[in-house]
Amino acid sequence: MIELDRLSKRFGSVTALDDLSFTVRPGHVTGFLGPNGAGKTTTMKIILGLDAPSAGTALVNGCRYDRLVRPLHQVGSLLDATALHGGRTARLHLASIARSNGIGRRRVAEVLGLTGMEAVADRRVNGYSLGMKQRLGLAAAMLGDPPVLMLDEPVNGLDTEGIGWIRQFFKALAAEGRTVLVSSHLMSEMALTADHLIVIGRGKLLADMPTAQLIAANARHDVLLRSPRAAELAGLLTARGATVTPQPDGALVVTGLDAAAIGDLAAGHGIAVHALVPRQASLEDAYLDLTGESVDYHGTPATAQGPVTEGTPPMSTAR
Amino acid sequence: MSTATVPAPPNAPARPNAPSIPVRARDLLGCEWTKFRSVRSTYWTLAVAVLTPIGFSILVASAFAAAPPGGTPPDPLLPGLLSLEYAVIAVAVLGVLSFSSEFGTGLIRTTFAAAPRRRAVLAAKAAVTGTVTLIAGEVVAFSSFFADQAILAGHHLSVSLSDPGVPGAVLAAGVLLSVCALIGVAIGAIVRHTAGGIAAAIGVIVLPAIAALLRPPWSDRIGRFTLLDAARQVTALHPQPDLFAPAGSLLVLLAWPAAALAAAALLITRRDV
Repeated sequence: MIELDRLSKRFGSVTALDDLSFTVRPGHVTGFLGPNGAGKTTTMKIILGLDAPSAGTALVNGCRYDRLVRPLHQVGSLLDATALHGGRTARLHLASIARSNGIGRRRVAEVLGLTGMEAVADRRVNGYSLGMKQRLGLAAAMLGDPPVLMLDEPVNGLDTEGIGWIRQFFKALAAEGRTVLVSSHLMSEMALTADHLIVIGRGKLLADMPTAQLIAANARHDVLLRSPRAAELAGLLTARGATVTPQPDGALVVTGLDAAAIGDLAAGHGIAVHALVPRQASLEDAYLDLTGESVDYHGTPATAQGPVTEGTPPMSTAR
Repeated sequence: MSTATVPAPPNAPARPNAPSIPVRARDLLGCEWTKFRSVRSTYWTLAVAVLTPIGFSILVASAFAAAPPGGTPPDPLLPGLLSLEYAVIAVAVLGVLSFSSEFGTGLIRTTFAAAPRRRAVLAAKAAVTGTVTLIAGEVVAFSSFFADQAILAGHHLSVSLSDPGVPGAVLAAGVLLSVCALIGVAIGAIVRHTAGGIAAAIGVIVLPAIAALLRPPWSDRIGRFTLLDAARQVTALHPQPDLFAPAGSLLVLLAWPAAALAAAALLITRRDV
């Protein structure tokens, strides 16, 4: 269990975390989502006692991290898989960490097996791929067989097989009753891995709910409609209780009625329909809706606005 | 690389009872010792720190032996110390690297997550680096001593280990490397950056020697507080009368790493990593 209570962190005039509270419960894989710069890593560093919060508290199993004795038995963590001394072998890297918490050589061999690293364990980590470093980091996190695991972007650098493997790995750990917190900036990945999601943006909590619920709450269904008699049809649709949003290019976006009902209504009044496209916001769209305003650095002006696509061009930005 | 099957660790994760402080100290010493011995830079640096000064002291002793007779005879222990001063930078680098390499790679986060009591980590790193460099320093001091005296023996300059004051002076010479390595450890923890840390360590160890350029008596009044002057005083067979006595100079010598480590201990818990 990880508990955050009104956590804030300021770096000079920049507020990285703003009054952030949430609880990560055992038995689930909890996804920790947010755009780059949202404060995910800062949050994890505060939980691990590496950064001091400006205000608020973070507790692990009811205890402040820096009060833990032999903390690797309580929390396994992986912040940055590349944080290694290149000249050291994987086995000695793990052995040094293990010894700091009174963990023996046998457990080092076990976690190397657990992560499929035995064959390369005696090579210097200089030559490792990012995926191998991720596995090594995971092995280090598992050294103390901890009830709480916290991993920052563990999927980065893994190949397809590795991603499938790590997903199963997390689910098995959660099924054993452990607390598993996994951060990512990719909603699609988390939708497959996590059964609970915590979403933050600019250091603020945006959502904290089961994955299914987050999708249902944020997914949007609407129908894109084109008709030569759009204005007339809009009136009829509004009268039937639908919400109609005219688009700059003359199309209508209708919510509250499905495509069949709209088509029937138009046919009943003899109104020609040139396009009738049911659209469903993807999970990624739901995430973008949620975080769109909290993204620090936009690229091109065409970002994250509203439900997009299903063969249609995005809504015009020409106003 | 093969794909492992999904693990089935025990249902109740291990939560051992809190171990006693000596056990935890042994944990951290073991951790730091494993790190220390598992990278090649350790061996290169130690090789430089041990072999260079022994060779250099032989050169200096040969020069002493070749000097024409007359004038004041040089201190027979001086070649050993002069050459150690060349090893000072190597061990200071070793000390700086113990922290700066971890800060540079980010490994320090893993270290502090595994051992949240950061001052204990500082103490463990200081103990490992300090002990190894103390042994290295004594090896250098005694090797140089025997080599130098063998060269000087034919020129009536040599002393024996059984002569009064000699064992203490040779032992003290060996301490110099450890002192400088500990200053390096402390500066590594404070500066966190390898290049900056090495520059700072050289500054702290060597720069005060410019006191020698001051007008007398100020050169001695200030110079006696500098690390290298204190080291010369402690290790000389014939200490200079204007500086502190060897006992006082030994205190000066030890005060430098003590102050540096105290500053590091103060700062290490206050900063984010």
